[in-house]
Amino acid sequence: MRVEYINPFVESAYSILSEVLQTEVHRGELYLKSAAMPMLGVAAIVGLAGDVEGRVLFDMKLETAIAVASGMLTNMDMEPVTTFNDMARATITELANMITGQAVTKLHNLGFKFDLTPPAIFKGDNMEISDPDFEALIVPMEIPMGKIEVNVAIRERA
Amino acid sequence: MTDTVVQSEIEQVEQDVVDFKMVTFSLGGKDYGIDIMRVKEIAKFIEFTYVPNTAHYVRGVYNLRGDIISVVDLRAFFNIPAEKTEEGRPDNGLILRFESNLLGVIVDSIDKVVGISSKRVQPPHPIFGDINIKYISGVADYDGNLYIILDVDRIFRRDDESGKGPDTMARRRVERAEVTASDVPVTQREQTDGSDGIEGSVEETALTFIADGVQTFSDFYLTSINHRWFTGRVKEWLNRRLEQGKEYQLQEKADADAFLSPFLSRFTGTLWRDQYAEQFGRNLPATESTMYNVWNPGCGSGQESYSIAAILKRRFPNRQIKIWAGDKDLLPISSAPNLVFHEAEIPDGWEDFMVKGKNGLTFHSEIKEMILFEFSDILSVSALPKMDIIVARDILSFQRKEDQERIIERFDEVLKPGGILVVGDNEEISDSKTWKPVEAHPVKMYIHR
Repeated sequence: MRVEYINPFVESAYSILSEVLQTEVHRGELYLKSAAMPMLGVAAIVGLAGDVEGRVLFDMKLETAIAVASGMLTNMDMEPVTTFNDMARATITELANMITGQAVTKLHNLGFKFDLTPPAIFKGDNMEISDPDFEALIVPMEIPMGKIEVNVAIRERA
Repeated sequence: MTDTVVQSEIEQVEQDVVDFKMVTFSLGGKDYGIDIMRVKEIAKFIEFTYVPNTAHYVRGVYNLRGDIISVVDLRAFFNIPAEKTEEGRPDNGLILRFESNLLGVIVDSIDKVVGISSKRVQPPHPIFGDINIKYISGVADYDGNLYIILDVDRIFRRDDESGKGPDTMARRRVERAEVTASDVPVTQREQTDGSDGIEGSVEETALTFIADGVQTFSDFYLTSINHRWFTGRVKEWLNRRLEQGKEYQLQEKADADAFLSPFLSRFTGTLWRDQYAEQFGRNLPATESTMYNVWNPGCGSGQESYSIAAILKRRFPNRQIKIWAGDKDLLPISSAPNLVFHEAEIPDGWEDFMVKGKNGLTFHSEIKEMILFEFSDILSVSALPKMDIIVARDILSFQRKEDQERIIERFDEVLKPGGILVVGDNEEISDSKTWKPVEAHPVKMYIHR
């Protein structure tokens, strides 16, 4: 993946998570992956189009998703959730939108033009994702509620 | 019928998986092996300190770079006749690693490191007369030779309470030793004592050990791609370490780096200049198409990619040139797009490619825009267009053998016919059907047929 794309995603994941959860966020070591990979349980996916093609995936365990949604809601003076209901889904969708949106804004300022698709949420056990022609950058973010893996796969349109 | 064929194929495949490595050596003309996980290093022992009142097979204690270890003569231990080593000549031996201590053992000669599938190890047969069957963990067949694998944990286990430890074994052995005096002259072994033969085998042993070392510490894999350089380098290394009075084995990453430092190609980490840049520019394929594509995997922090860009721009000012440059090392590749140079680093005649910034010189945007720096692993790269040039210096040698083959296949797929492939100065590709060497010294270059 083009090196210029890396930092905007890492920075916006870090700043949005610290802001909406009001908690300490720790970024793990970045790495690359291309083979099929197992998913943790809940995933939000945002498609990218324009000069590039690709997608950003936010992957976390179900209990992490519920805790993150509750944390975000509490910070907005709303009731926390106990199950992965519509409210929780909407909150995780919003989180994915905020992080990708901020990254794309940063990239726009650097001269790269991207469009976003609305996020889609997946939930299930033993899921696996594979996009054989993509090399994905994994940005692991550690928060007190667990781990969120930001999985970015973007390539230049040939 | 088919089932059995399939079955035997499966067995064949299973037998081909190397999951057990042993160091092989000879004792009284027979071949033995010890699990490599138990071997700390191979060593030459000289000048033991004699310890009085010990078993006859204990040769004494030895100072191994400050650690005092005991040394056992395996031949005496097993009552195998051995020639007396001449005064002043070192004994061949191995340093074995146990949970709490190290132990030296003396053998006739060290052979090599052999990798086999543990499926090939068969249980010992009671007819191996010289060595009690309970000290043998198995027998393996490799390359037509049978190796008896010693169970060193059993042999040297400290089991004082039950009284079955080496002490009791020793006593029994001493009794037997009276019958077969331990210094029976052996004529057969003496014949191989010519210095040439021994030198050769020392070098071969050194080669396998050093190859293991660079693989462990630096992910460098010895294959046909770098074999020629490697054998020459081993000779040089043995002499140099001997002069410095150091062990030739690679003990740590720093040793491996020192061993590999002459491997790296000219102008690694700097801009290309002089004859190297000239020869590269002169031998570029002249294509008709307006697009000129270059793949530069393993570009590090990008000096190589900028050099290629500048040389191509000079040669083909009106073509549309695109360079895909990638590296799996995040830090160097992240700094590549904004690399800053000092005036002295710029080769003559490239001044007009540069612009002055507040920290130094950078390439101007026309050159920068030619290069796409990617955080990417050569093994998972996909969706590349057809290339006119591939520059892959010193990257193949740092991939596993099967990956090297896969990558070369990938080069074959991606490179246009008549395109050129540049590899490291000390690398070579032997498949001359697909890759025709180009006379372009000092650049190691091949034309794709």
